[in-house]
Amino acid sequence: MSPSSGETYSSPLAERYASRAMLELWSPRTRYGQWRRLWLALAEGEKSLGIPISNDAIDQMRQHLDDIDFGAVAAYERRLRHDVMAHIRAFADVAPAAGPFIHLGATSAYVTDNADLILMRRGLQLLRAKIIRVLRALGAFAREWRDEPTLGSTHLQPAQPTTVGKRATLWMQDLVIDLGEIDYRIDALPCRGVKGTTGTQASFLALFEGDHEKVRQLDRHVAQAIGFKTSIPVSGQTYTRKLDAQVLSTVAGIAASTAKFASDLRILQSVGEIEEPFEEEQVGSSAMAYKRNPMRCERINSLARFVSSLEPNANQTHSVQFLERTLDDSANRRLVIPESFLATDAILVLMENVVCGLEVHPARILRRLSDELPFMATEELIVHAVRAGGDRQHAHERIRQASIAASRALKDGAARNDMLERLAADPEFGMSIDDMQRTLDPHRFVGRAPQQVDEFLNEIVEPLIGRGGGDDHSDEVRV
Amino acid sequence: MTVSASPTQLPLKHLRRGKVREVYEVDEGRLLLVASDRVSAFDVVMRERIPFKGAVLTQLTAWWLRHLEGVVRHHMISADAEEIVALVPELQAHREAMAGRAMLCRRTQVFPVECVVRGYLSGSAWKEYRATGTLAGEELPPGLLESSRFEQPIFSPATKAEVGHDENITFARMSDTIGAGAAAELRRLSLLVYAQGRDIAAGRGIIIADTKFEFGADREGQITLIDEVLTPDSSRFWPADRYAPGGSQPSFDKQPLRDYLDAERRAGRWNGEAPPPPLPNEVVSATSARYLDAYRRITGHTLKTEST
Repeated sequence: MSPSSGETYSSPLAERYASRAMLELWSPRTRYGQWRRLWLALAEGEKSLGIPISNDAIDQMRQHLDDIDFGAVAAYERRLRHDVMAHIRAFADVAPAAGPFIHLGATSAYVTDNADLILMRRGLQLLRAKIIRVLRALGAFAREWRDEPTLGSTHLQPAQPTTVGKRATLWMQDLVIDLGEIDYRIDALPCRGVKGTTGTQASFLALFEGDHEKVRQLDRHVAQAIGFKTSIPVSGQTYTRKLDAQVLSTVAGIAASTAKFASDLRILQSVGEIEEPFEEEQVGSSAMAYKRNPMRCERINSLARFVSSLEPNANQTHSVQFLERTLDDSANRRLVIPESFLATDAILVLMENVVCGLEVHPARILRRLSDELPFMATEELIVHAVRAGGDRQHAHERIRQASIAASRALKDGAARNDMLERLAADPEFGMSIDDMQRTLDPHRFVGRAPQQVDEFLNEIVEPLIGRGGGDDHSDEVRV
Repeated sequence: MTVSASPTQLPLKHLRRGKVREVYEVDEGRLLLVASDRVSAFDVVMRERIPFKGAVLTQLTAWWLRHLEGVVRHHMISADAEEIVALVPELQAHREAMAGRAMLCRRTQVFPVECVVRGYLSGSAWKEYRATGTLAGEELPPGLLESSRFEQPIFSPATKAEVGHDENITFARMSDTIGAGAAAELRRLSLLVYAQGRDIAAGRGIIIADTKFEFGADREGQITLIDEVLTPDSSRFWPADRYAPGGSQPSFDKQPLRDYLDAERRAGRWNGEAPPPPLPNEVVSATSARYLDAYRRITGHTLKTEST
């Protein structure tokens, strides 16, 4: 991207965050290229159903699908005050034989709505590609750290250990569910097809002189030509905006998954266990020179919140589409739909970058785990104490006292958890320090976490993301 | 052995076949470049394919272009097969043929000049210097050795020859061909990008002795970096730990291949011209390993291959 001149507002999504592929998708060039393809599909369909459109007309249209003269379009638009008409005139200028037939029987929503659906479907496919890249990166991370014990956390309080890799599978599973949602949404998305001004297909019925079957065939022809399995069964002038709401819900779901990951990582970075990548020359704080902030994850959360704020917007737009249509969807959709995709794309670029550069600090992880492990082991210590001839209630009470004392000592600045020493010093407890230490191997506390990682990666993820051929580095993140 | 995409495989208009790359037209504004696993040495294209070479060339270019975001305008839209399929649905059934090796690009009006930057005195530059003490017609300090490092990298443009070798030209002649403004900008960008690439690679054990860039003008007339960028095929990669000026340097990527061909020549089993001798599997896999290693060193990542 070339830097803007700085004279006027420009979208940070375009200037800083989103990938080239997603920006390209939502460009005017792509959109209006789709309009021309839609006019071609319409003319071909009408010709095949007996409308006398010449081969020349079709050929000329086909030869000018992408060479849109935006200057000419703008000139027409200044005169006509209508964007679709301006594009029709500019298309007719380069395809004169088709001039009399372009847009025959159609209303503006024929090109605008069908193109939106095409773009949203491709946008979902682009996000899908990005999720797969993130899953590849997370999969490698989960495998590498499959059996590294780490302190679990419930209520944001220390809890039974899990492993670093197992925790990564939680993030992955959310994205796997999102992938399923994307696939369903892509599969279920219809096009608007050929419906006319209020959705009754009246103009096409007139065009085919009352032949209902030909109107249906034209609708099917266009759907097939633009790659959709189905055309929406009934519509007003526009397709129901419920479809937008569903798509944006899918997109917002992805953003939410990434936000959960980013929040988790910010917590882990705050205790020094895992950190996001940090460039050698990166500055954390303009004032506090020692700072190393999780700024990429913070940006993910920032953008994800933006995306989730757009999701209800789409439902609100749907709810105020009076009767066969109102135009109060238009300006809003122009912002909400592309920006949801662009922001989510930017998030996934960031997430891949973060995952590829995660820094794990095992010593720090072990240190925090060791502070808590004696407490985690208390149930097992009671069992051992009873086996060694002790009294269960007595052991429980001794542990309660020792753990409270050790915990208080830790909070008051003790270097490490000395609960076991306190218990060993109690002859009535009946266990030596060595006996107790043996129960404290962290790997004994992680249950099936490593096996769950293997099973999840092999059985769920591998079949989904395939293997090989791609690169495993992320898009450059502008920090 | 990987199979390269052949020109007929993709449902796009095939525009041209380079030594290594197939160029397809997606539409008015976009091209698809597909790098093959073909390899040439001593100007002869080998019959065997080097596994993953095409993917290395494409993904290394993609890595550099991402790094250069904000430094130079470039032509890449995506080098991810999934993304390409999303943008060009006609390619749906051809993911496998494209995986890793395809790049979707913006189309440009190509400047008919090879923008060569030399950081070291080698190849045709060494020949010219030895004969006349100059490079691209410009005086160089006396007493340089073959493979000497230049204090300041030197821009030495060349014509694009359809057949045979490119011809070195002076900057003045380049200015006559494409205009003084464009020539100055191409020189500035070439030196800038080379300097960044050389510094990054040097820290990772690879000397990029020289390289060749191509530029085009996009629809808005903006100068855009195109083609492959700082790859072993567009550049001389030398292993830094074996650098010794005063002679030619081993090639980081093609040395196993060159050594083998040299031996075949010395033994009288090959005359140095097409057809090339068959390559043993060890030579093919050693060369493939070198390409993958170059990618790993420069990017810090392993290229995903079928075996992992």
